[in-house]
Amino acid sequence: MSALSTRHVWTYRALFVVAALTLITLKLLPLNLAAVGVPGPDLLLLLAFAWMLRQPAVVPLGSLLCVFLLADFLFERPPGLWTLLVLLASESLRRRRLTMSEFPFLLEWGGVAVTIMGMVLLNRLVLWILLVDLDPLGLTLVQGIVTIVTYPIVVAVSKFVFGLRKLGPAELEAL
Amino acid sequence: MARDSYDDSYTRPVRRLLLAVLVLLLVSLVLIWRIDNPRMERMRAAIVDRYVPNMEWAMAPITGIARMAEDFQSYTRLFEQNQELRRELQQMRAWREAALQLEQENARLLDLNRVQLDPELTFVTGIVLADSGSPFRRSVLLNVGARDGILDGWATMDGLGVVGRISGVGDSTSRVMLLTDAASRIPVTIMPSGQQALLMGDNSANPVLDFVEDPEDIAAGDRIVTSGDGGLFPPGLLVGQVVFTSDRRLRGRLSADLQRLNFLRVMRSHPGTTLDDPADLIGPPWPPVGMVVDQSGALVPDPSARAEAPDPDESE
Repeated sequence: MSALSTRHVWTYRALFVVAALTLITLKLLPLNLAAVGVPGPDLLLLLAFAWMLRQPAVVPLGSLLCVFLLADFLFERPPGLWTLLVLLASESLRRRRLTMSEFPFLLEWGGVAVTIMGMVLLNRLVLWILLVDLDPLGLTLVQGIVTIVTYPIVVAVSKFVFGLRKLGPAELEAL
Repeated sequence: MARDSYDDSYTRPVRRLLLAVLVLLLVSLVLIWRIDNPRMERMRAAIVDRYVPNMEWAMAPITGIARMAEDFQSYTRLFEQNQELRRELQQMRAWREAALQLEQENARLLDLNRVQLDPELTFVTGIVLADSGSPFRRSVLLNVGARDGILDGWATMDGLGVVGRISGVGDSTSRVMLLTDAASRIPVTIMPSGQQALLMGDNSANPVLDFVEDPEDIAAGDRIVTSGDGGLFPPGLLVGQVVFTSDRRLRGRLSADLQRLNFLRVMRSHPGTTLDDPADLIGPPWPPVGMVVDQSGALVPDPSARAEAPDPDESE
């Protein structure tokens, strides 16, 4: 049970926040100013989902809230909306994971895909209701798809670089 | 061990309550943003102000290394580039000759005309700190802000052409919305024909030129300069050139090199003459000081002014 010791959990919590801040900073670098075309994936979201589905304890509500709220403010998004969607989506994913005894990767990926698409559409719907200027629909959808496609890469990096292994149902039930 | 693991705490209603409270708070945050946008945007500017300059120590080396890598990639095309540069140099020599002649001519004409270039058009130079971080927004963050007297709406140029305008000022940072941003619209003049148009960003590299009166009168390569309509930008700043795309739309190719923004000039704008009343003339005050208009419409000296300051020939 070494993977679940308090120290381990807190190490990974800190690691999550550091990784998220690094991602935010990297995105802010003035490198691809004129880059137009396929928007890159939302790595921050993928990181949160991948880590949460591997070991739920290392991504508590507090970190999610702080990291995504900061991102909302820095990336010129409506503050709070994307954070709200992330919180709700992460709760639903956690719940889905709990009810399932088996959680193979394809199923996980499917769940994440549905969740991300739902978030993108819901985000758009809320912005539309609030009469905010909408981003081009095509670009938004493309970004959602790119994000979904990148998920396995983020999972692989979490597993092999950060050594975050997936907790089996037995370990979760043992708690 | 593992007392704070998620699955343990999930069943507790405390967590649900916490989530509900958070959701409510976030919803109200979004609503406040929607209702009181300027205040929230000021708050956003303040947060950016806190975060970005603090990260500069980390960002500067990474940006530098990435730019070096980019430059290194271009070494691989060195030979082609060399050839290309030689050809361009030949052309440039011809142009230089033309420019020298024009400069002399211009100097002569300026001398004849006694024209003064606009002395109020000064600028503040800033360094690009960060970009928007979002694929849907085209903006950069400068390291100058309200502290340096930057105001919202001022035009920003790189060495050559207009880059965008200030939208959002923090104490020590300010955000420049680039011309390619989907929310950017600036009034421009297309130069030889003098037609007014609107340059509208649409998230692509070349913004659309719209509301052109007579597209037939415009040729590819015509110069686009700011028109100064609406008092937004100083008039006459170079923006770019007209290009035709395959779908027969007019677009502007920007003179500024948006790929390599490093130093930007924020032009101190001054409010231009505004036309509030369509019937008014712009000119010196009428009637002139010391004169009045009599019943027949002719100008006569003002009797009250004369009483106060007697004419010099009367005093003699």
